[in-house]
Amino acid sequence: MKLSTVQADAIQELGNIGAAHAATTLSQMLGSTIEMSVPAIKVIDLSQLGKYMGEESAAMVAFELQGDIPHGGYILFYITRESAVRMTNTMLGMTEINRPLSEMDQSALLEVGNIMVSAFLDATAELLGFVMLPSPPALTIDMAHAAMQSLIAQMQEETNEVLLFSTELTCEEYKIDSDIIMMPERSTLVKIIALLENMVNTS
Amino acid sequence: MIKAVPVMPDHQPQNEQTAMIGIGEYRVGSFPMMTIGLGSCIGLTMYDPNLKLGAMVHIMLPESAGRMDRPGKYVDTAVPLLVNELAALGCKNRSIVAKIAGGACMFEYFGTNLNIGERNTEKVRILLKEHHIQLAAEDVGGKVGRSVTFLPANDGKVSIRRADGTSSNL
Repeated sequence: MKLSTVQADAIQELGNIGAAHAATTLSQMLGSTIEMSVPAIKVIDLSQLGKYMGEESAAMVAFELQGDIPHGGYILFYITRESAVRMTNTMLGMTEINRPLSEMDQSALLEVGNIMVSAFLDATAELLGFVMLPSPPALTIDMAHAAMQSLIAQMQEETNEVLLFSTELTCEEYKIDSDIIMMPERSTLVKIIALLENMVNTS
Repeated sequence: MIKAVPVMPDHQPQNEQTAMIGIGEYRVGSFPMMTIGLGSCIGLTMYDPNLKLGAMVHIMLPESAGRMDRPGKYVDTAVPLLVNELAALGCKNRSIVAKIAGGACMFEYFGTNLNIGERNTEKVRILLKEHHIQLAAEDVGGKVGRSVTFLPANDGKVSIRRADGTSSNL
C-alpha cells in the first residue's frame, strides 16, 4: 500500500478537519484548551504492530465505520489509563488518581468517545459528501496491542498491513493525552482517496 | 541516580536476547521468546523436553484459505509449520508439549458475532489433535489481553502477564 505525496496530503487534511472538530467537543466537555498534533499516517506491517502499541494499559472506545460503506473499517478514541482517570475526574469532579475505573468512568469514556468520533465523522462526511457513520461504541480497558490486534483480526479484507491515521489530542491543564485513530479497510481508503482527488481536480 | 534495570524473565542470564514475535511471526530454538498483547490472537508454544528445544508462533486467524505468504498467521498453516520445523531438528511429535494463550474477546459488542478468539482456540485444539501433539495447558478466552514469555532453556517454562500486572505460569 503506497500513497503518493498528494494522496497523503489529502488524507492528512481530512484527518485534520475531523480531528479539529473532535478536539472542539473535547475542549467543551473539559472546559479547557486542547492541543492537536499534525495527523500522522502510518502504514504498518502486522508483525510490527508491537512497535506502535505495546502492553501499556489504555482505554479504547472503538466504532465500526458504517454508512455508505457497510463495513468500512474502524475508528477509535484511545486514551492512556492514567489520562482516562484524570479525564473522568475532571468531568465528574473527583480527585483520586490511584483508583480502579468504575462503571461511571466507563460510561463517561463511552460518551466522550461517542461525541468525539461523531464530530470527527460529521466533519469528514460534510467534506467528502460521503457518509461514514459510527456503529454503537465498544469499550475495552486493557493492553493497547491486544485491543488493536483484535480489531485488525476482524477486518473484512484480508491484509498484511494496516493504514492508521492518528491525531494526538492533549490537554495540558489536566495532563490528558489521547488519540483519535482511524483504520479504514483498503476499499474504504481507495474510495476516500478517489473522492479527495476528485475534489482537488474540480476545485 | 536510579538506573533502570530491564526486567528479565526469571532472572535469566542476559547473554541471550529475547526474541520478540510479532503477529504472524514464529521462531524456533532454545533462546527466550516473547510475544506481547495477545487479544483474539493465539500464542502457541511447542516444547520438546528431550532436546530442550521449542518454537513459538503468534497466530491471528483460524483459516488461511489457501494463502501461503505468511504461514504463521493462520492456525491451519502455523501448526504444521511448527511441527515440521521441530521435526527437522529431530523432535518427535509424541514428545512435543504444546501450550496456548490468548483467544480473548476484547470488544464484547463486536466480538459476539465474529468470535475470532474462540474460533482460533477451537481450531488450534483440532489441529494439535490431528498432529498427535499433547496440549498440556491453556489460558484462553475471557476479555483480557495477555503477553507470553517462553523459555525453552528453562524446562520450556511459559509465563503469562496481564494488563493489571499479574502474572502466572502455564
